[in-house]
Amino acid sequence: MTETVVELSHVWKVFGAQAAETISAAQNGPLSKAEALEKYKTVIGVRDASFSVARGEIFCIMGLSGSGKSTLVRHVNRLIEPSAGTIRVLGEDVSAMGQTALREMRARHIGMVFQHMALMPHRSVRDNVAYPLAIRKIPKSRRWAISEHTLGLVDLTGYEDRLPKELSGGMQQRVGIARALASDPEILLMDEPFSALDPLIRLQLQDQFKALVRDLGKSTLFITHDLDEAIRIGHRIAIMKDGVIVQIGTPEEIVTEPADDYVAEFVQGISRLKLVKAHTIMQPLNGHAPPEEAKRVSGESDLDALIDISVGSDQPLVVQDDGQDVGVITKTTLLRGIQGGK
Amino acid sequence: MNDTGRMPEVALDEAAAHAAVRDIEVDRKALDASIAEFAGPNADYYARAFHRIHETTGPIPRTFNLAAFLAGPFWAAARGAWGMFWTFLIVEIIAFVQIGRGTWGQLGADALAQAERQAARAQQFLDRAAEAAAAGQDASRFETLGNNLMRAAERSRETAEAAAADANMILLTGLGFLLALRLVQALWANSVYEKQYSRWRVDPAGVASGRRPFNMALGIALGIVIIPLTVYRFTVEGVAEWITTFPADPDIYSNSARWLEGVIDDAARGGAGAFDGIVLAVRQILDAISLALIGTPWLVVMTVIIVVGWRVAGPRVAIFTAAALAYIAFLGYWEIAMETVALVGAAVVLCVVIGIPLGIWFGKSPRAYRIAEPVLDLMQTLPAFVYLIPIIAFFGTGNPPGILATIIFGMPPVIRLTALGVRGVPDSIKEAATAFGATRWELLKDVELPLAQPSIMTGVNQTILMCLSMVVIISLIGGGGLGQVILEALQFAAKGPGLLGGFAILFVAMVIDRIVQGAFRRADQK
Repeated sequence: MTETVVELSHVWKVFGAQAAETISAAQNGPLSKAEALEKYKTVIGVRDASFSVARGEIFCIMGLSGSGKSTLVRHVNRLIEPSAGTIRVLGEDVSAMGQTALREMRARHIGMVFQHMALMPHRSVRDNVAYPLAIRKIPKSRRWAISEHTLGLVDLTGYEDRLPKELSGGMQQRVGIARALASDPEILLMDEPFSALDPLIRLQLQDQFKALVRDLGKSTLFITHDLDEAIRIGHRIAIMKDGVIVQIGTPEEIVTEPADDYVAEFVQGISRLKLVKAHTIMQPLNGHAPPEEAKRVSGESDLDALIDISVGSDQPLVVQDDGQDVGVITKTTLLRGIQGGK
Repeated sequence: MNDTGRMPEVALDEAAAHAAVRDIEVDRKALDASIAEFAGPNADYYARAFHRIHETTGPIPRTFNLAAFLAGPFWAAARGAWGMFWTFLIVEIIAFVQIGRGTWGQLGADALAQAERQAARAQQFLDRAAEAAAAGQDASRFETLGNNLMRAAERSRETAEAAAADANMILLTGLGFLLALRLVQALWANSVYEKQYSRWRVDPAGVASGRRPFNMALGIALGIVIIPLTVYRFTVEGVAEWITTFPADPDIYSNSARWLEGVIDDAARGGAGAFDGIVLAVRQILDAISLALIGTPWLVVMTVIIVVGWRVAGPRVAIFTAAALAYIAFLGYWEIAMETVALVGAAVVLCVVIGIPLGIWFGKSPRAYRIAEPVLDLMQTLPAFVYLIPIIAFFGTGNPPGILATIIFGMPPVIRLTALGVRGVPDSIKEAATAFGATRWELLKDVELPLAQPSIMTGVNQTILMCLSMVVIISLIGGGGLGQVILEALQFAAKGPGLLGGFAILFVAMVIDRIVQGAFRRADQK
C-alpha cells in the first residue's frame, strides 16, 4: 500500500486568458473567486491541489457541484490541461507526454466511468466494453473474449448482444464499469458513477464495486457529492470546496476531526457507529489497574461492536493494543462517543 | 375513535391558514415606490390608477387618462408604449383625413368641372344657333343640342352642390371618430401602461419607463412626417407628382446595369480556365451516369430499378415503380426521363461529396459555421431565377451549368443537417472515447459520424428532393431532360404535351422519393 500511483502537486486550473496572472496574484495573497472574475476575467476551477493515491487505494474526492472535483480528476488523464503544477501517473509526468504516449496511457493504464454512462448507443454492450481494446488494435477474437469475461465480473453475462438502451440505468452503469475494466488498467477514474441511479441500486453497486476493486487490486479515484458514499467506499477522502481541497483524511478522521466548520456541517448527519474506533474515545489508564473481570476489546473495534459488548456487562470495557491494556471505556464515555465527543 | 378526536385540530389548522391568507396586507408603500420609479412624472396619479387596476375584478378597469385623451398617440410615444402609438397614429389618420375632406376638400370638384365644360359647350352650340339664325338657316338643331347640354350642366352643378353639402356631414363623422378614438385611448392607456409596468419589473433595462423627451420628440417627428403628408394626399385634388411617385433618375439604373455587366464580363474572362475546368468535371460525372442509364439496354435498367425498389422499400413501392416506368416508356419519354435522373443523380452526388465534409467542418468549428451560415441562408433564399444569369455568364448554357445551379439550391440542407448532427453528439460520449485513447479520426469515425447519421440521412433526403424540384427550372438555361419538354409545351401553350410531360416528371420524382424514403426507413430501424 505504499507505492504511489497517482500524484498531483500544486495543481491549478484557471479558465480564461489571464490564467498565469491570476495564479501569481493568488499565490502572493488571498484572491477570491469573485475578485479573480472581476480583475482578470478568469474562473478558478482548481486551486493549489495536491494529493497522492497509493496502489490499491480508493481515494474519494467529495464536494458539492461546482467545487471543481470533476475538473480536478480530468487532469489525471489530461482531458483537461493544468494551468500550473505537475501530475504524475505511474511515475511519469503527464504534462510532458506527447500525443501518442498520452493516448497509450489513456488506453492502457486508466479506465474511466462517467456520471451519464456515456455508452455508444449504436453499438452492442459487447462492442461498448471492447471499445478501449479496439482502439488498441487488439484483434476481434480477443476483444470478444475479454469483454465477455469483464461483463461476467459485473454480473452482466447474457447481455452481450443487447443495445445499451435496452438496459436499465444500473445495468448501463455496470457496462460502463466493465468498459473501464476491459483494458485491465491500474487506475480507475470514477466521475460520480452512481449519482444518477436510484438509492437502492446505488447501495448495491457501491458494495459490488468496492468488492470488485479489492479483488482486482485497482487504484481508484472516486468522485462523489455524497459524503455517505465517500465514507462507504473510500479508504481516504478529500473534501473540496470552491476549488480548494479543504481536508484529506480517513473517514474516521474526517468525522471525528473536521478541519473547519464547512466539513463539520457535512459530517453532522453521518452515523459514527461504524467509523469511530475504540482507541479514539477511550480514556487512558494513567497508571490505574483496570478491573480484571472487565471485558477486553481491541482498539480497532468500532462503536457498533462496543455497544454489543457493553450491553452484556456492568463493567467498563478495557481496550487492548497488542495484548496490553491501554485504556478504558465506561458507559458514559461510550454514550458521549456516540454523540460526538461532547 | 382516536381519529375523530383529532379532527377538530385539523379543521382548526385549516381555518387558521385561511385566516392568514385573508389577513395578508397589501404593501402599498413598496408598490408605490416601485411605480414612482417606473412612471417618473405624475407618479402619484399612476400609483392611484394602477391600484385601481389591481383592485378591479371586472373586465375593464375604469380609469381615465387625461394626458392620453389630449395628446393621443403622442402620450403613448412619450411613455414608450410604441405598439399603442402606431396603432392609434394610423387609425387617427383616417379621422384626420375625414376632417380635412370636410373642411377644405373640394368635394364635388370633378362634378363642378364637368358642369362648367358642359355649360361651355352648350354656349358654343347656342352661339352657332345664333349664327345660323343670323345667316337665315335653320337653327333649331343647334338650339336643341345647346339646351340639352345646358340641362346636363345644371344636373352636374346640382350633384356638385349636393356633394359640397355632404362636407359638413363628413367633417362631423371625422370629428366624432377622432373623439371616440381619444376616449378609447384615455380609457385604455392606464391598462396598457400597467402591463408595461409589469414587464418593466421583470426587465428594467429592456422596457421603457418614465417620460422620455427623446421618445416624445421621436413620436412628434413621426407624426409631423406622416400625418400632414397623408392628409394632404387624400384631401387635395391634383397633388404634386413627387408625392405620389418616387422621383427616380433613370440614369442610375442604366449606369449600374452597364457597370455590373462589365464586372461580370471581366470576371468571366479572367476566370475562364477555372470555370471551364469545373464545367468539364461536372460533364464527366454527368456523362458517366448518363451512359449507365441510357447506354445500358432499357430492360436491364428497368429491372434493376424495380428490383431495388422491391428490396429496399417493399413490394408496394415496386408495383408503383413498375407502373410509373411503364407510363414513361410507353409515352416515349424513357431516354429523356433517364436524362433527368442522370441530372439529379450528378447534382446529388456532388452535393453529398462536397456537403458532408463541409457539414462536418461546420459542425466542429462554430466560427466557420458562423461565417458560412449567411451564405447558406442566401443560397436557399435567393430565387433560382436570380442566379441563373451569373451562371450563364460564367459557365455558359447546357446541362453542366444546370447541375451547378441545382447544387446551389440543393446543397444547403445536407450541409446544415450534417453540421446539426455532428454538433448534437453528446459531449459526454466524445469525452469517453477520448478518455479511452481515441484519436481525432477514431472519434469522428466511431462516435461522431454514427451518432450524426440519422440527421445526415435526413439532409441527404432533403437535398435529393430539392434537386428534383430544381431540375425542371434549369431547362431555362438549356438543361435537358423532362424540364425541356415542359418548357417547350409552355412556350406553345400546348396543353396535352405539357400535362403528359408533367406527369412523367411527377412519376420520376415519386419513384425516387419512395425508394429513398424506404431505404432510409430501413436504415433507421437497424
